[in-house]
Amino acid sequence: MQAVLAGDVEQYAVLVRRYQDRYARYAARMLGSVDAAEDAVQDALVRAYDQLARCRDPDNFAGWFFLILRNRCFAERRRDQRYAGLDGAPDVPAKENSEISLERAERARGIERALQNLTPEQREVFVLKHMEELSYEEIAGRIGTTVAALKMRMHRAYDRLRELLEEMR
Amino acid sequence: MSREFHPLVKQLLDGERTLSELPPELQAEGAEALRLLEAVDRRDVTFSSRLEARVMREVRQRVAARRNRANSDPVLWRWLTAPSVPPWVVGAVLAAAGIALVLGRPGSGNGPAMVAPATAVIPESVYVKFLLFAPAAKRVALAGTFNRWDPGTTPLVRLGDDGVWTVTLGLPVGQHQYAFVVDGQRWVVDPAAPAVDDGFGRKNSVVSVSAAQGRVL
Repeated sequence: MQAVLAGDVEQYAVLVRRYQDRYARYAARMLGSVDAAEDAVQDALVRAYDQLARCRDPDNFAGWFFLILRNRCFAERRRDQRYAGLDGAPDVPAKENSEISLERAERARGIERALQNLTPEQREVFVLKHMEELSYEEIAGRIGTTVAALKMRMHRAYDRLRELLEEMR
Repeated sequence: MSREFHPLVKQLLDGERTLSELPPELQAEGAEALRLLEAVDRRDVTFSSRLEARVMREVRQRVAARRNRANSDPVLWRWLTAPSVPPWVVGAVLAAAGIALVLGRPGSGNGPAMVAPATAVIPESVYVKFLLFAPAAKRVALAGTFNRWDPGTTPLVRLGDDGVWTVTLGLPVGQHQYAFVVDGQRWVVDPAAPAVDDGFGRKNSVVSVSAAQGRVL
């Protein structure tokens, strides 16, 4: 990172290689699309380059980059929220039928669709806890909030997911 | 049937309880909740191998565009090679700064407070004087769109012992975003200037530089 700041732009490729897939699953689940996630990560990496001098802790580029990507995902979700609906199936592929039962595959697709109908904040805490498998404490540290606030958000997400899944039946 | 999970079932989902710890009447609801989590897709997602190339292409284009702008922009060169700034310009800037200091200086406290930048014009470029009241600061720098947000290139100079820091830059006509960096860590926006969201959850101050604005001073 210091080399990039000193003007060696090609060294930025090292950072790109190291971090481009790190939050791929997070972005894909937040945006409901691998293609949209790839666009978001690309955009976030370019923005990170633009603002590299503002990264106050060079040893925590990953955490800083995550916040840029997170803001990008939230902005896109808010922009697209008015178009969201239960009919809009995400293109994140569900598990292969050979790996799990048809019933579970259908349930997985239902969850993916329901996730897209949560608020971005609710969806994020669900993705980080149950897909990225982070603890509440780890999530709180990463996004700068309290465990109590996260739990409240998550518990509302559970109820909303249940409601949405019942509506889909 | 209520669509809300029982609080104990939510604790089960949070991993704070096991199914066997739930009372008999919540066993079915608990099992339903766990099926929801079991179906969650946790597979890794990987992107196209072309992503790195696309990012680097865009980064290189930005670097090239900045170089082209720098090479074609005479402002910095004129600033460095035009020591014969008209006396009225300097006087106007200092007078405006003095007035702004009186208005913008807080009554108490050691926190930094920005004073709106004063501007003055010379042919085809505009000098902008940035001022910050930060008596407790050990160093202050300016970062903005005009210096690639690099806080290492534009330090402010402390004026005497009254806590005022200043720097004067020649800026092209147009809108520039900026912030002050106090002691290398704190990014301070200008409470007296307009601010815009930087797209990443923070604010940047904005100064709009125009020739007409400079002539007023």
